[in-house]
Amino acid sequence: MAIQYWRRRDRYYRLVGSRCKDCGDEFFPPVYKCKGCGSEHVADKEMPRTGRIVTYTQLHEPLPGFEAQAPLYLAVVKLDNGARVLTQIVDSPDDSVRTGAKVEATVRRMRVDGESGQIIYGYKFVVRS
Amino acid sequence: MHLMQSKNRAAILGYGAYVPYYRLPTTEIARVWKGGGSGPNVEKAVAAADEDTVTMAIEAARQAMKMAGTESVGAVFVGTESKPYAVKPTSTIVAQALGQHHTLAADLEFACKAGTEAMQVITGLVGSGMIEAGIAIGMDTAQGRPGDDLEYTAASGGAAYVIGRKDRSAVALIDCSTSYVSDTGDFWRRAHERYPRHLSRFTGEPAYFHHIESSVKTLFEETGHKPSDFKYAVFHQPNPRFPVEVATRLGFTMEQIKTGLLNPMIGNTYAGSSPIGLAAVLDEARPGDKILMASFGSGAGSDAFCIEVLEGITRTRGVNPTVKSMLERSTKIDYSTYSKFRDKLQK
Ligand SMILES: [Zn+2]
Repeated sequence: MAIQYWRRRDRYYRLVGSRCKDCGDEFFPPVYKCKGCGSEHVADKEMPRTGRIVTYTQLHEPLPGFEAQAPLYLAVVKLDNGARVLTQIVDSPDDSVRTGAKVEATVRRMRVDGESGQIIYGYKFVVRS
Repeated sequence: MHLMQSKNRAAILGYGAYVPYYRLPTTEIARVWKGGGSGPNVEKAVAAADEDTVTMAIEAARQAMKMAGTESVGAVFVGTESKPYAVKPTSTIVAQALGQHHTLAADLEFACKAGTEAMQVITGLVGSGMIEAGIAIGMDTAQGRPGDDLEYTAASGGAAYVIGRKDRSAVALIDCSTSYVSDTGDFWRRAHERYPRHLSRFTGEPAYFHHIESSVKTLFEETGHKPSDFKYAVFHQPNPRFPVEVATRLGFTMEQIKTGLLNPMIGNTYAGSSPIGLAAVLDEARPGDKILMASFGSGAGSDAFCIEVLEGITRTRGVNPTVKSMLERSTKIDYSTYSKFRDKLQK
């Protein structure tokens, strides 16, 4: 397992981001310094698991490792707290994937390192109508 | 006495089911391998290319924790025969995703009854006072060899149960259970083999029927219960026919088993099969209803449970998606898409 992924597993599995203790702004991915007020008083916080699609695109020739899922949707999702996430949209009918659609986070396989390497898990989103 | 009953009463505090989005009609399997016809079930639930037992267990467990309102658990047990890793626990990945670290974590193995076994062990841990609550998961992405009869039914899905001390908000009391096992070679998979093998001749009488009838009859003898005491009954569902047959032999009616009978629509979810049938029943049950659940695992054994629905069930309505809603929210795929999803194509 890449050390970087191991360090970030709470981010990938549980959407752990940051909350500024001074101004209350929330960020995903996590930050060391508040992007709003510049405060360094930030703490880990689990993000809400629901939000809405801001913009999306359909990929017909996805990155290596994602061939079995083509064509696939990539979207920017605005979570209920305002944080934004770039994510794959799965298990959703084509006509449901649109700007403004309500989505919910799920955990899926992100990458599989061949037959003998590790399986990398992370967040993806499903449309909830 | 063979009956298992915890001294401190343990109960289901929350549950969550998971059925993947994709369905393969068995006419597709028959078209490819037999030139037409269908399997015993109408469709089977198929996990997407990026799903496995870990991801599905996380989804079900998260729902169960939400319904239970539990912040921490002392055990995370995953019963499955489709572990993504041969060595590396499924349960630690699930625990991490649930934010649980000060917990027992283990994968239980017993073909299709590993999920109910997890429920019994956690009932014992709660009943002895060692832990406050634990989570038992039965989940599988079962695979049959392409063209084999098992391919019609081998499906993906399951359910998770948070079991803890019986309190006012508890959903259902796990009153007691029995287990019956013997060395029976009806179905197996050797290490490093991709698909299981089975002896058709052994599957029914000496395996499924003998073990379920033994566990259930023991439960009846030692509790004094009879089939008419139960509003619902859930049996392991390797195909649509066996659970109906065993129910009839034991004296249950179609009315009692129809709510939990999911095989025709989703196939056999192995360790998930009886737990997800129980979830479908709990979705509809009312306080005071008694439920009999009997699992079966090849190799072989059966666990039979007497479960009593409590007042807390009324607070669970609308908290999580129902099994019925998961059956409805689905899309059909053809055999080639299924082959792509379940890694049956060689590149
Ligand atoms: Zn700030």
